[in-house]
Amino acid sequence: MHDIIQQLENKRGLARLGGGQKRIDSQHKKGKLTARERIELLLDPESFEEWDMFKEHRCTDFGMEADKTPGDGVVTGYGTVNGRVVFVFSQDFTVFGGSLSETHAEKICKIMDHAIKVGAPVIGLNDSGGARIQEGVASLGGYADVFQRNVMASGVVPQISMIMGPCAGGAVYSPSMTDFIFMVKDSSYMFVTGPEVVKTVTHEEVTAEELGGAVTHTTKSGVADLAFENDVEALMMLRRLIGFLPSNNREKPPVVPPFDPTDRIDHSLDTLVPANPNMPYNMKELIIKVVDDGDFFELQPDYAKNIVIGFARMDGTTIGVVANQPLVLAGCLDIKSSIKAARFVRFCDAFNIPVVTFVDVPGFMPGTTQEYGGIIKHGAKLLYAYAECTVPKITVITRKAYGGAYDVMSSKHLRGDVNFAWPSAEIAVMGPKGAVEIIFRDEKGDPAKLAEREAEYKAKFANPFVAGARGFIDDVIQPHETRKRICRSLAMLKEKKLENPWRKHGNIPL
Amino acid sequence: MFKKILIANRGEIACRVIKTARKMGIKTVAVYSEADKEAMHVALADEAVCIGPAASKESYLVMDKIIAACKQTGAEAVHPGYGFLSENAVFSRRLEEEGVKFIGPKHYSSSKMGDKIESKKLALEAKVNTIPGYNDAISGPEEAVKIAQGIGYPVMIKASAGGGGKGLRVAFNDKEAFEGFSSCVNEAKNAFGDDRVFIEKYVLEPRHIEFQVLGDSHGNYVYLNERDCSIQRRHQKVIEEAPSPFIDPATRKAMGEQAVALARAVNYESAGTVEFVVGSDKSFYFLEMNTRLQVEHPVTEFITGLDLVELMIRVAAGEKLPITQADVKLDGWSMECRINAEDPFRGFLPSTGRLVKFQPPAEVPGQVRVDTGVYEGGEISMYYDSMIAKLIVHGKDRAEAIQRMREGLNAFYIRGVSSSIPFQAALMQHPRFCGGNFHTGFIPEEYPKGFIAEEVPHEDFGFLAAVAAFARRKYIDRAVQISNQARGLGRKVGTDWTVLIGNDKFPLKLTTVQDGTSTSYLVEMEGRSYLLASNWRFGDPLFTGTCNGQPICLQIERIGLVFRIAHNGVICKATVMTTRAAELLALMPVKAAPDLSKFLLSPMPGLLREVAVKVGQEVKAGEKLAVIEAMKMENILKADQDCKVKKVEAAAGESLSVDQVIIEFE
Repeated sequence: MHDIIQQLENKRGLARLGGGQKRIDSQHKKGKLTARERIELLLDPESFEEWDMFKEHRCTDFGMEADKTPGDGVVTGYGTVNGRVVFVFSQDFTVFGGSLSETHAEKICKIMDHAIKVGAPVIGLNDSGGARIQEGVASLGGYADVFQRNVMASGVVPQISMIMGPCAGGAVYSPSMTDFIFMVKDSSYMFVTGPEVVKTVTHEEVTAEELGGAVTHTTKSGVADLAFENDVEALMMLRRLIGFLPSNNREKPPVVPPFDPTDRIDHSLDTLVPANPNMPYNMKELIIKVVDDGDFFELQPDYAKNIVIGFARMDGTTIGVVANQPLVLAGCLDIKSSIKAARFVRFCDAFNIPVVTFVDVPGFMPGTTQEYGGIIKHGAKLLYAYAECTVPKITVITRKAYGGAYDVMSSKHLRGDVNFAWPSAEIAVMGPKGAVEIIFRDEKGDPAKLAEREAEYKAKFANPFVAGARGFIDDVIQPHETRKRICRSLAMLKEKKLENPWRKHGNIPL
Repeated sequence: MFKKILIANRGEIACRVIKTARKMGIKTVAVYSEADKEAMHVALADEAVCIGPAASKESYLVMDKIIAACKQTGAEAVHPGYGFLSENAVFSRRLEEEGVKFIGPKHYSSSKMGDKIESKKLALEAKVNTIPGYNDAISGPEEAVKIAQGIGYPVMIKASAGGGGKGLRVAFNDKEAFEGFSSCVNEAKNAFGDDRVFIEKYVLEPRHIEFQVLGDSHGNYVYLNERDCSIQRRHQKVIEEAPSPFIDPATRKAMGEQAVALARAVNYESAGTVEFVVGSDKSFYFLEMNTRLQVEHPVTEFITGLDLVELMIRVAAGEKLPITQADVKLDGWSMECRINAEDPFRGFLPSTGRLVKFQPPAEVPGQVRVDTGVYEGGEISMYYDSMIAKLIVHGKDRAEAIQRMREGLNAFYIRGVSSSIPFQAALMQHPRFCGGNFHTGFIPEEYPKGFIAEEVPHEDFGFLAAVAAFARRKYIDRAVQISNQARGLGRKVGTDWTVLIGNDKFPLKLTTVQDGTSTSYLVEMEGRSYLLASNWRFGDPLFTGTCNGQPICLQIERIGLVFRIAHNGVICKATVMTTRAAELLALMPVKAAPDLSKFLLSPMPGLLREVAVKVGQEVKAGEKLAVIEAMKMENILKADQDCKVKKVEAAAGESLSVDQVIIEFE
């Protein structure tokens, strides 16, 4: 018995050391923490329960039978984040470069299966050179097993990927199917094919960082949601994100004790929308002034900036915020922003998070780039997402709500529960100038007359009352009372029940 | 008494006049430009009249429009505030002709005092000390040198019509006098269309000390003691105080009596200010008389207990001054900071835009006063003065006044535009300022390279670290109360923390102390401890409470993992981590600043409306570079960092594609 315990201690010691002190030092030199250090930062102190510490690979080719490290390059288990259970796997780059073997994959699958069973989020800390080549197809099978579980878990428990080292080739497809991807600047990258292959095939010279670094994916591709300076910052902010999410799709979003009065009014909002309809303003000011404590956890802040998405709390409970941003491209919808917002709305819907939408949208972005790029189908994603969504939906139109984009942005017609408009709202098919040029095209040669028509059109439609008269708007509210009115609406909608007809799944225009 | 007056001004002074008028039961009329439609003074007044476009020369400076507004509204008198038409003798005469009273001096007084040479002559006649100098026309540089020798170096050569430092030269020898005279004449001719210059003694280590005087139409005059306005930046007053830490009662009396003598010499009927320059030997010389209400009048009001605007209105209505010199008090100490919309860290560049947050400290009668004409959500326009508020405090002595000013500045929260507050807060800590040991050269001497954030000292960064730890702990204490926790797996919060501020580490122990129903936090670090109690609420930028029983107030904002703290002029970033996390953070690489991009690229397809910079121009971060119109919206592209323009690649009117180069930087 004593022997066994001694052996246990030895094995634990070996496992904790991963690939050995030398490799740990080298990991640190690269500006990266080890798999275990990362878990330490992610989870509440002393909350980590490790599983499969003694698991070893079964490969016997290429001398691998002699090269075994307990744990096989990934640390798995569960722990808590502020007392709430999360499952975690953390790839250990010091062991076979964090490469994924059959057994490595089995460990990940095990915790994923448990996570789905108990309804707790899965957090993957990715730092892996790729497939364990020595294992061949067994390793590929391992990837697919993980992929399958990613899909099964999707919409059941939140899945979050933190890319903290290499993640290339087929390996990218596991994170890509998770709900959120965070990356660490300068030490992580993601791509399907690396710079060498790119060079041979397309003759493009590009560095790994340019091709798939954190900045690339948070500004150009939109693959990742947030980029962080280093491992410590990334993990501490990840804890903060988890605080917004329910643990599974059967749970209501978490509540923290609220201190911000729900009836807080803010008169500075009354002057947020400039008198000139062509002047931009910062929609984030509205978000920050309306949500609890001014605390807005924005996602994808540097990608498709014409739409703003993120989590916040109202009266202590998580909400998802979607808002057009007039500061960028006048807040219009284009391919990137539609996809960005659509995926976010679907996440909120899957996890019972009410969606609050702030609308100032002049329409869809025109141009060949957009049409050739398929704005028709991509724009439809956001439309589909809002239409399908059954969680409480509250909409505030601050200024423009023009054309099809009006319909898309959580309108009454898409089952918006409470639709407010500010007095500055203009709900119409298009802006007065464009409208007049079409309706009165005969008078095109007469600018004076056209101006008169424009003023007429403006007086008639550049207000919230036409939509109000039809009930498309539930009420016209003063900007300063926006928080109060949203909080009241959310309270009223707390037990909202709405179900879509049974089906295997809808067919969102992908 | 008047039933209705018009205020021919805007901003804080218009609001301040309206307040007194209201107190006196007088109705008020505001005038405003199109840019000021939503301004506070318009909202405060009983009536308001729009007098034209934003530019002041088309609105606030147009006499006809203001006179028409008087007629239209039936205003019986006009208070001009300061600036704009306040010292315009033509304006006061025209009002008089129209039968509208001017709440200010008679036009003959202001026109006499408006000319520097004439005012000096008058002063001489009134036996007011004037700077030894020469006031007649000077034939040429040779004569200038002779005169300078007669006065004794150093001398100052100054344009008669000049002001604000324009057309001013200092000469320490014959050569400088010769050259200075010629260039001064040229500059005066170009800038003011008036090439008269004068030469006078240049006072070393001068203080700017001014006397408030008040006269009525019955021949009564009083002086309301002095204000010291020596803290100036490029001839703009930054801090004013009353009394002066430099003046003794005998000098005060002598100066005050001369000020009154001068006022009497021009039959001055209103509030006015006689400016003196005072040398290090307490010799004082008359500089000029300002024939209006001054920006800094509130400090005089605090020490005398008088309402200067009320007295101006009463005098204008023909009433006798209700006080004699014997009634004038000098009670305690008062100080004023002019809060300007400018960025002290970027060469005091004016800052305009939306006042996203504007939260002045609470007013306390007899202690703290805030005069302002702006409000949260308002717009700071580029058309007018950058002063957005005045913070005025009063204490029993100078030390108490300084302490109150520190507290007031710490509690003054502005976002959206930059403000001069950090600079003034730093001045309030400066030993020379606190010791009263300064003259008008103080700022250039002490801040030769401008105001640098990192160089502001703080007496105790440990205190700032303790507050950051407090805030972090508050967040954690709430986070551990989140719903849906697994029973029995609750997070245990440790007591050991490390706060990082810049390169400094503050390892500390944080424990809660229960005192009845209230919870305090005890922060212990090497050699010191802080017992912090505060009702601070998440997201509240103001952190008020007590530290070891002493009241504290600082500003704190959570930005990502970092707490941005502002206190006593210091702005720092504090990160609070568990000791273990701090250890791990130490393993992380220190990253070099990202490569500064050399190009301004079009972020969107659109029409280039404007390129706001020229080749060779030095641009500060945040300045406008170009304007692109897309979707019929104007998008302003601003500089991310300080840079110099190398090449402008696109011209206004051009259609841009995404990522097209607009400007190349050096």
